[in-house]
Amino acid sequence: MYTCKDSINLLMDYLDGEMTPEDAQHLKEHLQGCAPCVDFLRTYRATPGLCKRALAKSMPQELSSKLTEFLRSKIKSAS
Amino acid sequence: MPQEVATPEEDRQQEDQRLLALAQAGDMSAFEALVEAHRDKVFGLALRMTRSEADAAEIAQDTFLAAYQHLKEFRGDAAFGSWVHRIAANHALMRLRHRRVVQAAEDELKGPEFTERGSLADYPERDWSRDAEGKALDAELGLAIQQATDRLPEGYREVFLLKDVEGLSYEQISELTGDSVPAIKSRLHRARLALREAIDQFYNQGSARV
Ligand SMILES: [Zn+2]
Repeated sequence: MYTCKDSINLLMDYLDGEMTPEDAQHLKEHLQGCAPCVDFLRTYRATPGLCKRALAKSMPQELSSKLTEFLRSKIKSAS
Repeated sequence: MPQEVATPEEDRQQEDQRLLALAQAGDMSAFEALVEAHRDKVFGLALRMTRSEADAAEIAQDTFLAAYQHLKEFRGDAAFGSWVHRIAANHALMRLRHRRVVQAAEDELKGPEFTERGSLADYPERDWSRDAEGKALDAELGLAIQQATDRLPEGYREVFLLKDVEGLSYEQISELTGDSVPAIKSRLHRARLALREAIDQFYNQGSARV
């Protein structure tokens, strides 16, 4: 029988769909009897999406204009 | 002219291909339209990786200049967007490597705690995964996530950003960093566990207030 530790070690492979059928079966059995691990799995799976939203950035207008100027000057001087 | 509103990805790629063909034929305004369409993504990547606006601005400049210089070699077998994204990731990593020479060795990231029998010592008090969907992100949570990401040791932070935020594949990251795919996966898992933990703590503090 898998412990929580075994299961959590395998979460990424599980979400990547890269588990052996045997491991998948063991994990399934553990999850069926362990509510904390089910919550852990759900929150683990939600983490990347939340972080992606929290870390979204756009380029400030001033820097965008500088970028355009920079490229124009470089490209003109090269051609 | 590029459109102000974000178009679906397929439209974007078609538009990129059209602009790319024009730019390859020497149309500067077509190249500028490509820059305009992709600069937020490139700048965002560079800013997240380097955490410096000045560095990120320079990386954006270097990235698009390099893209321009190699425009004729680009065959369009990948999307223009992912191509510049990878150039930017490479520039950002080079900068970080350069910086890291003077940094101390990295800490190992600890995972969750387990009892002797391998059960979770602390488990989620509630399943907050549904809160992650839909509505606008809580500003305090956003800040907590930024801080938690900043606290990750460099090697973990890089892998997490490149895979989960920038959407690169394990193979692409391996090519950029020179690390093996199993090593990348192991660090990614650790980084996710640490960030999950940070978000969990945020929600548990939050529930104490209710
Ligand atoms: Zn369990």
